[in-house]
Amino acid sequence: MDIGRILAVSKRVFIDLKNDKRSLALIIIAPLFSMAVFGLAFSGEVENIGVIIVNHDNGMDIPVVGNIDFADQVIDNIDHDTLDIQESDDLATAIDSLEAGDAWAVIYFSENYTANTMASIIPFTNASSEIELYIDMSNVNLAEAIIIEVNSALMATMEENGGSLPVTVERTEVYGQNAEFMDFFVPGIVSFAVYLFTTLLTLMAFIGERVSGTLSRVLATPLRESEIVSGYALTFSIVGTLQSIFMIVVGILAFDVMIEGNILLVFAVVALLAIVCQALGILLSSFAQREAQAAQFLPLIVMPAFLLSGVFWPLEAIPAWLRPASYFVPPSYSITAARSVMIRGWGLDMIWMDMVALVIFALVLLALAVISLKKKG
Amino acid sequence: MLAVKTDKLTKNYGDFKALDGLELQVIKGEIYGLLGPNGAGKTTAIKVLVGLLKKTSGTAQVLDAEIPNKQIASNIGFMPQETAMYIGLTVHQNMEFFGKLFGMSKEQIAIKEAELLKFVDLEDWKDELVQNLSGGMKHRVSLACTLIHEPDVLFLDEPTVGVDPKLRANFWKYFNKLKENGTTVIITTHYMDEARNCDRVGFMRQGKLIAEGIPYEIMKDTGTDNLEDAFLHYATIGETSDGRMPDGGGVE
Repeated sequence: MDIGRILAVSKRVFIDLKNDKRSLALIIIAPLFSMAVFGLAFSGEVENIGVIIVNHDNGMDIPVVGNIDFADQVIDNIDHDTLDIQESDDLATAIDSLEAGDAWAVIYFSENYTANTMASIIPFTNASSEIELYIDMSNVNLAEAIIIEVNSALMATMEENGGSLPVTVERTEVYGQNAEFMDFFVPGIVSFAVYLFTTLLTLMAFIGERVSGTLSRVLATPLRESEIVSGYALTFSIVGTLQSIFMIVVGILAFDVMIEGNILLVFAVVALLAIVCQALGILLSSFAQREAQAAQFLPLIVMPAFLLSGVFWPLEAIPAWLRPASYFVPPSYSITAARSVMIRGWGLDMIWMDMVALVIFALVLLALAVISLKKKG
Repeated sequence: MLAVKTDKLTKNYGDFKALDGLELQVIKGEIYGLLGPNGAGKTTAIKVLVGLLKKTSGTAQVLDAEIPNKQIASNIGFMPQETAMYIGLTVHQNMEFFGKLFGMSKEQIAIKEAELLKFVDLEDWKDELVQNLSGGMKHRVSLACTLIHEPDVLFLDEPTVGVDPKLRANFWKYFNKLKENGTTVIITTHYMDEARNCDRVGFMRQGKLIAEGIPYEIMKDTGTDNLEDAFLHYATIGETSDGRMPDGGGVE
């Protein structure tokens, strides 16, 4: 291999990208845009969920202490930003509204709610008190948010009145103290974006080279197939690193993402991923005859990574039998590694396995890309 | 002294024989015209000789080296039929890229680039993106890129398609100049008037060389007074009465 020719190819690919405003936009703006859109859409807490409260609780008069009304206390402890509360006197009317789709839940306190609660505190009475919840489960996310909110309001009320559960969970955050959604999301979307755009750009560039005849033309010069692939790899690893720098800088400035470990490790991982992806792009291009066919590869490129890389939801959320498939999705390694570095503050000693996996992917795909170019008619 | 020598060279695509025992000999320093109807195998022959296609059987040598051989790649210049330029790069960036592939220094490239751009009359378009050039201009850039490293053997596949007559005449002047400097030129063309400029021409049909000689002799042998008629003579030998080739089919 001749370093001069590799550099010539690398520079040529750079110039091509630089001269093409659309590619440039695809490289810089699209990842930032996708990060912002996904980030803002997913990171927001659920707010203003319409619920109706029907409070029939009569409270309870206790000598010396006076009147106690647990239902009022629970209602006070509900976060009014999360739940948008309407009040109603009549349970049947409230349920009608729920059924008409005007609210997501009806929270009902019966006349004896406080009395029953007091009784249930006394040992050996077997008494129990209930908040009745009528809920529309057609939107699971909202329904879960309502249930969590009512439960936490109830817990808070219990604590205020000196009552506490006999068993509690003591939580110590080992990693990711005060981590928010964006801290989890940014390291993932960086790899995902680099994967997507690098694969697509090389796929399109290489179909172009095949269709226009430039590929055959350069192969009739002293340029070797391995030098072409190396030149592309050099350019796209730099471009991938630049993309990840842009995204992480914006992540820090706009979303204040945490960086516990050495950020250079993240760039190294992403650069490795970019090399894997450009080889994948070259390889895929050998199955296409026209530029328009690049679009047909899109689902093949996007879907496995979307579902199996762990970028949007954890791998634990997909069926156990499908999880091994994630081993064949290169971005899953860089996503895991980047998250571990940025949130857990892990170093090379902990993420080397992911890097080795990416190196193996790179070597195999680079070799296959070279073989695909060597295949002559 | 032969620049190109093939012996029983065949290239099959499945059952179809694109090259069928081609015996081609090109003498060093001559301009050799490869003529023949569409699908005769001219382009296939060139692509095999520059190492882009794998031969099926037979031997093929360029500059005494059995091809494919990367060692002689820097002595060869290949201009494909399609424009095959990086359209997102400027004329200069394309020439610089090709120069570097042949290991040329920046200074060497600059000198040769200036000379070639003058020759193809594109000095004012040096910094223009190739995608903004007309078809004929792209063809001229393509030729300039082929010549940048001063190859010993030039394979030109239809180099004058889409080039206006005045510039075509210039091209031929330049090819003759290259020949004087010892360059071997193998050229395919459909323009019979310019085939006359070749030292020797060979007629290909169905993957074989069916006639060869200096243009004057070819005309004499076929009893014609121009190459156009000679071409038609060879192109229609053995054709069926409905005008189709007996074997049918063909490749570029």
